[in-house]
Amino acid sequence: MSKENQKEENAVNESYRQKPKVAVYVCHCGGNISDVIDVKRVAAELSKYPNVAISREYAFMCSSTGQDFVVDDIKNNGINRVVIAACSPFLHELTFRGALNRAGLNPYLYEHVNIREQSSWVHKNDKEGATLKAISLVKAGVEKILRQDPLNSIRVEALHSVAVIGAGIAGLRAALSCAENGLDVTIIEKSDSIGGNLRRSGNIYPTGEKASSIPENLSKKVLSMKNVKIYTQAEISFVGGYVGNFQLNVKKSDGNFEKVKAGAIIVATGFNHYIPHEGEYGWKKSTFVLTLPQFNELLEQSAGSEIEIEGKKIKSVAFMHCVGSRQIDGIDKPGKNGKVNDYCSRICCTAIIHSANRLKEKFPYVDVFDIYTDMRTYGMHHEKYYKDASKNDVIFFRRPLEERPVVEIGSDSIKIKTKDVLTMNEEMEIEADVLVLGTGIVPNDISDLVEYLKLPRGSDSFLQEVHPKLRPVEVSNNGIFIAGTAQGPMDVMETLQAANTAAVKAAALLSSPDIPLDPFVAVVDEDKCTGCGLCLAECSYSGALTMMEKEVNGKKKKVAVVNPALCKGCGACVAVCEPRAINVAGWTLDQFDAMVEAIAKE
Amino acid sequence: MSEKKPKILIITTNHSSYPGANAVGQAHLSYDSNTYIIRVPDPVMFPENFYMKAFEKGIAGIIIMSSGSDCPYEGAYDRLSKRIQNVYNLMKGKNIPINRLKLTTICTVCREAFIKEISDMEKVVAK
Repeated sequence: MSKENQKEENAVNESYRQKPKVAVYVCHCGGNISDVIDVKRVAAELSKYPNVAISREYAFMCSSTGQDFVVDDIKNNGINRVVIAACSPFLHELTFRGALNRAGLNPYLYEHVNIREQSSWVHKNDKEGATLKAISLVKAGVEKILRQDPLNSIRVEALHSVAVIGAGIAGLRAALSCAENGLDVTIIEKSDSIGGNLRRSGNIYPTGEKASSIPENLSKKVLSMKNVKIYTQAEISFVGGYVGNFQLNVKKSDGNFEKVKAGAIIVATGFNHYIPHEGEYGWKKSTFVLTLPQFNELLEQSAGSEIEIEGKKIKSVAFMHCVGSRQIDGIDKPGKNGKVNDYCSRICCTAIIHSANRLKEKFPYVDVFDIYTDMRTYGMHHEKYYKDASKNDVIFFRRPLEERPVVEIGSDSIKIKTKDVLTMNEEMEIEADVLVLGTGIVPNDISDLVEYLKLPRGSDSFLQEVHPKLRPVEVSNNGIFIAGTAQGPMDVMETLQAANTAAVKAAALLSSPDIPLDPFVAVVDEDKCTGCGLCLAECSYSGALTMMEKEVNGKKKKVAVVNPALCKGCGACVAVCEPRAINVAGWTLDQFDAMVEAIAKE
Repeated sequence: MSEKKPKILIITTNHSSYPGANAVGQAHLSYDSNTYIIRVPDPVMFPENFYMKAFEKGIAGIIIMSSGSDCPYEGAYDRLSKRIQNVYNLMKGKNIPINRLKLTTICTVCREAFIKEISDMEKVVAK
């Protein structure tokens, strides 16, 4: 056991049997809370509440000064329970648990009350109501923490191996970083080869290098690592276990099954290019209507002084932005999931302008038109591509977001009719030999995997992280990380950064022989347990709950026994236990009863 | 706005509706301040008498915002649904209108649905 763990356990024994002395801290969050809620009044009200020894308010409780208040009060004023009224606990619960730990108090003797997202931000026009609500919620928090037992993290043994699902550049980069950190890595790839979409993406910004060189270089390095195993044409048929000890059933290309064991899983299932509906901007109605990836392939293959399709010299090319992106319900046709893609695919503007510049550089005689909605060439120095395109005589038309250009396929050319915002909504007719559709990015269909791993997805169907800034590669399931475009549209640089981040998180998680888990699992009070077994019938997780004969107070009796590594902490068992012998640690019925009592009181 | 209104207890889940309630705040949408959100791993943990006691204590309406079919806990939603049916029977026995307890599903981004559920319950408890 590490020094830190020992310190945590020692703190348990010292603090919790003492008479409760609660400290309440009300955060201003700059003005995010205090502009609406009268934080001084909340603190003053709570200072009169039973068992509250200290009640303060401060500008930023999450700052080092704010945390120091907590540490000092524990060390010097005998505080043994803490309530912090601030932002969402999802943002700073760990911050304050750390502060309690530093002060030598069990980190779970702390309750976080959300008075920002669920009070000040939603009751801006009702300052009095928001303040009264905050007072009630903080009182409920005090009631909860008064009934809180100190808890210790559950420790589960960790396998020092990672399963990486997907072998595009995100999967390869994550696998390589994990392997370089000494972890055994198994890559599971559905298709018959590794490298992903980038193998077919022509020339890419910002380096101007051949896209395929990136997966090629990564593949070489990954294949040279002795601790990396790769399965291609392999599908996952089941995932069991938990953080530190996952088991994946993998159906291999030969039809046989392999059991892969891993301490963590990195999901790098990538993206697909949007495929237009038949007839959408002339798609499938002419061989001269191409998607951007198709055009890039043509551009890279075209040598000599002319670019041709089916023997015809191409003299003019029009690029259309936002095909399959920023769609509008009621205007655009929904996809198979019944939804339109209302998100921005982010990378297409830069990719289109980059291709337009490449076209002009390679074949200067070609007239280039660019029909865009909003020019979003975001990223370091990417604005330069737009300026270069202007210098290269690319002619721009800006169409209104809610109006769709009309494409007419002629015998010798393609006519695009659109309004142009840049010329006060004048109706324009653009004639071009080729129309290139700047197709957006859509998530790969990974429904089975989503089901096996219980992965959260956003409304856009991409995988959803816990928090875009604070926990950008983690999902709510412990031990599972996401990397790259499975999470949303990203360019190559962002994808590789995300993959590295996921790998570092996985390596950090598996760096110790065992992993600390939240202790919020079922616990049994053996004195109260009657051995009726009703709880067992409610439990869905095999092995999480068993009935055993044990000696309790010198007498043998049958009692429920919890396996904390298998218990998910749902509490299904709790509801059927009349004597309240079984509870979820940290979330007991007595705590909730007391909270409701505090809320209901006038 | 700050007149005393009947209190509504909103039971949310760590995995979906609590982040959903946060999303409502992050979008700076608004709803009435007589709403009190508590979070649980899953509402399946509450026995029938938890709800009855809450009504006895003076809570006017309860909205259970579950994770529905997306619940990460196996079988929990089915068990919860059955339990709520039992609570409805107990409520009928005590002459408490059953529309004062609502079992619904709210996801991490269900902002409009979250607001609508509160608005509907506000109408119920105002009667």
